[in-house]
Amino acid sequence: MANLWNLIIVDPMLNGLIALSSLLPKAVEFGLAIIILTIVVRLILTPLTLRQIKSTEAMQSMQPKLQELQKKYGKNKEKLQQEMMKVYKEAGVNPIGCMWPMLIQFPIWIALYQSIMRALATTPENLLDLSRHLYSWQIVNQALPLNSHFLGLDLGRSGGEQIGGLVLAILVGGTMWVQQKMTTAPSADPRQQSTSSMMLFMMPFMFGMFCLMFPSGLPLFWLASTVIGIATQYFVTGGWGYLRPPPKAQSAPKRKSKRAL
Amino acid sequence: MRIKILIFLSIFCFLTLSAAGCVGGQQKPLGFSGVISYDGILYLGSTDGKVMAVNPLARDQEMSFPSPEGEWDYAITMPSRSISCGPSSVRVSIYGTPTVVDELVCIGTYSGKVLMMSPSARSQNLPFPQTGSGEWSYPRTEDVIGPIVGSPVANGDTVYVCSSDGRVYALDMTYGDEKWKSDPLGEKLWITPVVKEETVYVSTFDGHIYALSAKDGSLLPLVFKAEAGFVSSPVLYENIIFIGSFDRNLYAVRVGDNEPLWKFPGGNWFWAAPVVGNGVVYAGCLDGKVYAIDSKAGNELWEFDAESPIVSSPTLAGDMLVVACDSGKVYTLDIFKGAPINEVSIDAPVRGSLCVQEGIVYIRAQDNCLYAVDVGKGKINWKFPLAIK
Repeated sequence: MANLWNLIIVDPMLNGLIALSSLLPKAVEFGLAIIILTIVVRLILTPLTLRQIKSTEAMQSMQPKLQELQKKYGKNKEKLQQEMMKVYKEAGVNPIGCMWPMLIQFPIWIALYQSIMRALATTPENLLDLSRHLYSWQIVNQALPLNSHFLGLDLGRSGGEQIGGLVLAILVGGTMWVQQKMTTAPSADPRQQSTSSMMLFMMPFMFGMFCLMFPSGLPLFWLASTVIGIATQYFVTGGWGYLRPPPKAQSAPKRKSKRAL
Repeated sequence: MRIKILIFLSIFCFLTLSAAGCVGGQQKPLGFSGVISYDGILYLGSTDGKVMAVNPLARDQEMSFPSPEGEWDYAITMPSRSISCGPSSVRVSIYGTPTVVDELVCIGTYSGKVLMMSPSARSQNLPFPQTGSGEWSYPRTEDVIGPIVGSPVANGDTVYVCSSDGRVYALDMTYGDEKWKSDPLGEKLWITPVVKEETVYVSTFDGHIYALSAKDGSLLPLVFKAEAGFVSSPVLYENIIFIGSFDRNLYAVRVGDNEPLWKFPGGNWFWAAPVVGNGVVYAGCLDGKVYAIDSKAGNELWEFDAESPIVSSPTLAGDMLVVACDSGKVYTLDIFKGAPINEVSIDAPVRGSLCVQEGIVYIRAQDNCLYAVDVGKGKINWKFPLAIK
């Protein structure tokens, strides 16, 4: 199973990443290749991303209705479920529809992650392992080993070991917060609002900590991916969402994309 | 619902990353130090960061370790730098094979230290370093140089070592003082340098072979540049340097020439440094084959398929060539035809250099055990686990 996974997904991505590096200026080859490959993968996954954004938006637009139902049928769980399903059906929304595109994207992200980690080959064991996944293409073999330095960062060293890594961790945490804030609607229920606020900080903090533990190549990929995610969100929803909602509609920013559903 | 989704996704992200870290992340540096024999004692580095002296006679008799017959072990530690609740010091990784000079044992560690150890002080478990016994560490303070992967080389009163900071260091053999350090020659120097007469030869990951003055480390005008980087340590034989490249070729470069004498293509990298004898280059390749190549003409004399990547350098033992591979198989080949004479399986990858002594090959495998293999009879005499205490 692992061999099939490598053969079909990871190895082509890994060799593509190295071949791409060899076409770029030596000083920034690997860092730039990570960014370009992230953009390419993001572009390929655009239909899924759009579907996910729109599904999430549709779900959020139904929140007031769902909260009303909860108030009305809060004690009768069965009835509540039935009514909620009815609302979903009327709106033509699948309640877990926003998760499927994300779940489908996960294997691609894992493959990209594995490719970056393999290509970095920071230890002799990793370099030996890398040799087993390379094609015999001249462009790949002549590119090795890759220059792991990028804008003052050693992409092969963990963020905690370099000052630039700390900056990268802050950037990753910050952009993740922005991306989440754009999509997290404020809630009228104080308990829900507090959980929501906690989650808003927990994920960026967790990834910020990961940045200090993992080789910096990975946070660079996260940063590139999140920035592209923010840009996509901005252009698809037509604004900053709940990050900077219009003054008159604090809890419901622009929802022009709902019509597209 | 939204909160549940977020919680679910957070847990999913965390588990995914953790799983991905296990299946495809960076492997911890375990080290693959080889074995060297000096005065009847075997010296090696273990995967748990110890330098060990093992007496094969004591192992033959299954005596408890360390026996008074010259055996000892010394665990090298370094302060932990990771953000965790773990111990304040951790064991180091050792890739290079120890070097024995004037009865002292010299080793470079992946944590970036060079240590000179006295067997008498180590067998008494005295605090390190016992300067009166000739022991030292470089750098002396808690500072480190870049990770060391190759072995130190002793020549005259100097120890030469290459580091991942791209520099070559020349250290005084008696006190460990730095005589000189070269300018950075490349991104990483994961090699054992070659020292001949007054010249130090090193190869780099960016495809250079440099010659430095052994006296002061200055660059000599004998630079060779290849299109691809060099992956193996260089080997010098009759003024020709043999070296494996990332472009899957084994290069033969006459010292001072700008063009290679020949290039021999393999199916993958020639990671292990080749061994040369009687005008023949024996090179193990990560494609799982051993190639015998004419050292002057570069034509193939024979090849043997071990069916598993060869990371460890082959070793000559009279008319036999001993080759160990990543599957744990150890082959004894006829050096004239490449025909297999014997085959032994030790069920653990072999990556460190082999040591042949009176028909017995001593192998430190990745299961952290030392094996004594009788190549003539094709059997394992004993297996000694190195993770003791």
